[in-house]
Amino acid sequence: MSEHSALVASMSSHARELQKLSGPGVDSWKNRRHLLDTKDLSTDELQTLVRAATICKEMMHSGEGPQPLLTSRTIANLFYENSTRTRSSFELAAKRLGATVINLDIASSSVAKGETIVDTGRTLAAMAVDAFVQRHNCSGSAMQIARELGDRVHIINAGDGWNGHPTQALLDYFTMLEVRGSVKGAKIAIVGDITHSRVARSNMWLLTKMGADVHIAGPPTLVPPELSSLGVTVHNKLEPAIEGASFIIVLRLQLERQKQGLIPSIGEYRRVYRMDHARLKLAAEGAKVMHPGPMNRDLEITHALADDAEKSLVLTQVGNGVAVRMAVLYLLLAR
Amino acid sequence: MSDKILIKSGLILDPATNTEQRSDIRIAGGEIVERGSELNANAEEQVIDADGSWISCGFIDIHTHLRDLGQKDKEDIHTGTKAAAAGGFTTVVSMANTDPVIDNGMTFSMYLQKIAERAVIEVLPVAAVTKGLAGQELTNMVELSEMGAIAFSDDGKPIQNMTVLRRALEYARLTGKLIISHAEDLDLSEGGSMHECALSTELGLQGITYASETVAVARELEIVRLTQAPYHFTHISCASSLDLIRRAKVEGLPVTVDVTPHHLALTAEEVAEYNTNAKMNPPLRSGRDRSELINAIKDGTITAIGTDHAPHTKLEKSRPFVEAPFGITGLETAFSVVYEALVVQNYISILELIKLLTIGPARILDLPVPSLHMGSPANLCIIDPRIQWTYESAKGQSKSTNSPWDHKKLHGKVTCTIYKGQIVYRSEPISV
Repeated sequence: MSEHSALVASMSSHARELQKLSGPGVDSWKNRRHLLDTKDLSTDELQTLVRAATICKEMMHSGEGPQPLLTSRTIANLFYENSTRTRSSFELAAKRLGATVINLDIASSSVAKGETIVDTGRTLAAMAVDAFVQRHNCSGSAMQIARELGDRVHIINAGDGWNGHPTQALLDYFTMLEVRGSVKGAKIAIVGDITHSRVARSNMWLLTKMGADVHIAGPPTLVPPELSSLGVTVHNKLEPAIEGASFIIVLRLQLERQKQGLIPSIGEYRRVYRMDHARLKLAAEGAKVMHPGPMNRDLEITHALADDAEKSLVLTQVGNGVAVRMAVLYLLLAR
Repeated sequence: MSDKILIKSGLILDPATNTEQRSDIRIAGGEIVERGSELNANAEEQVIDADGSWISCGFIDIHTHLRDLGQKDKEDIHTGTKAAAAGGFTTVVSMANTDPVIDNGMTFSMYLQKIAERAVIEVLPVAAVTKGLAGQELTNMVELSEMGAIAFSDDGKPIQNMTVLRRALEYARLTGKLIISHAEDLDLSEGGSMHECALSTELGLQGITYASETVAVARELEIVRLTQAPYHFTHISCASSLDLIRRAKVEGLPVTVDVTPHHLALTAEEVAEYNTNAKMNPPLRSGRDRSELINAIKDGTITAIGTDHAPHTKLEKSRPFVEAPFGITGLETAFSVVYEALVVQNYISILELIKLLTIGPARILDLPVPSLHMGSPANLCIIDPRIQWTYESAKGQSKSTNSPWDHKKLHGKVTCTIYKGQIVYRSEPISV
């Protein structure tokens, strides 16, 4: 038995299923080097991603160990901004596929010494790292690093400033599809601080592309100008946005927004925008509430609603995050 | 180097008389000594064939950052003036936001000494209006003016307190010098890195609203009305600011305006891929703002083009968009950019463009009106309108390369610049 066939024989049926995926979407993923945002993903690629994530989710819950799908690959988690949950989600995803993972919390090391993100990237690329999972507080930093080093490494954007967080949008989309087979024509509300939200932007690109009717609500001081040019309907108050909605994505409110004078007080925010069971009654029958986390309980969402297993998808999102990130890593990095 | 030059067969563009005349020019002793057709070269004369080219008075840049002192990594007076010469400029007005700031006699005299040592063309330095550009205490304006400050400006860190601006305009009467305004309300623009528009929303960048400029223009115009002191608005970028200034000029207020080549040629769309070489302050605005800037040139509201040449290092410009500094270089590309944007596109004539680069800024700054008559100082440039060239910033004269026109094809080129009878720039021959 050759080494290769030995490896295949050791794989689970799910892993083999993943390898057998085919179709135009699979080919586009093979030709793709980076995942910078949902903006440039084709519908074929999205369908393939969902199929792959479905298999990855079964892998996760089958009790099987790491599969030798990315054993030759090294992935660096480059987090210039703290994020325990996104980083551990990516780390788990990579390890379940057999990849080597290194974690770099750079906020405290080389940047403090004056090294640029391009320098840090070059250093890691020189160590033959295959892919960067990068989180940075500046919009456009993922595109920038892809422009500088994209011929040597694959870039996966794990959040760049206010611009994009594609894997969060993909896991939100995957979670929605588990509830109802398609988002086409579904009313989906995104509520809260839109201006500073990469989650909102990546979701708007993805959900409008897939035919959802996306409605936005947030304090006018936290909704960026000309937002409707992205193909969404913008409301000031919460109620018209969630009325008849199938999904409500509640965004985290950063407490510093009050200090910046963007909202008068937390109490006022609660009064107008906090999601609770009473407001949820305005939404469609069986509507679900989602949140990218971490939640400010009783600020943007009530304690009771956040923990209502029937109405809240928050923990499902977290679990699906690992499956979706496995799918992304596999589709981008499998040889 | 010979100081005797004969320029043959060029078309002399003279916006003062609104004429174009084919003529030879003889230069000796730093002056134009003879003009006429079919002049014969003397043995010791260097002959420049300008057949098919235009000849203009040397350009005057009313807004340049030459850096030097503590920022020699970005630019120094030598490289900055070489870049200016390559762009056809024989005079640049250098801004005071150097490190240290030119806000006292000692720093100013040091800067004058550097100019004497390093400049290849004329540098007219601006001094700060307030100490440390802090917008609070006035500098020793009389002392600085007597030492040679051409004007006063807190460009880069605009005065926010209108009482301070009022006092500056009142006190400046002692000097007879102009105050140059970078009009910006810093509260309205705080945190922004590009023009506020649909694209800033799409890119997740905090916008800089047009109102940050227009609000400042509005309140500063009231201080001009109050003091009746001459006042110059530099790098105006918004249609709404022009509306206010146009009305003020009709009313007779002593205000003038310049615009940059980049605001005339580019719009906010240039930022689309987080291009830090399209990041400057004021930011590139909308297409409508751009057309209104051109209209304001046509109706005479804007009478000068100033580059706002603002060199920054590669390292600084390779930071993420939000963190990269504002500013682009512009001296070497200025003529070609505005020639394409205004003349090739048929908005104004070449004579009108030359006026914006010569007589226009001279009048604002109360300088002698430049000319190419006999007896005038030999400050001129030769332009070949037939040349299509690709700008390679790395091969340019400036130390910095932060230009949105790097690797871009440009139309029309300055091929030679002469300052006080000396050739300070001559391009490599380019086949037409």
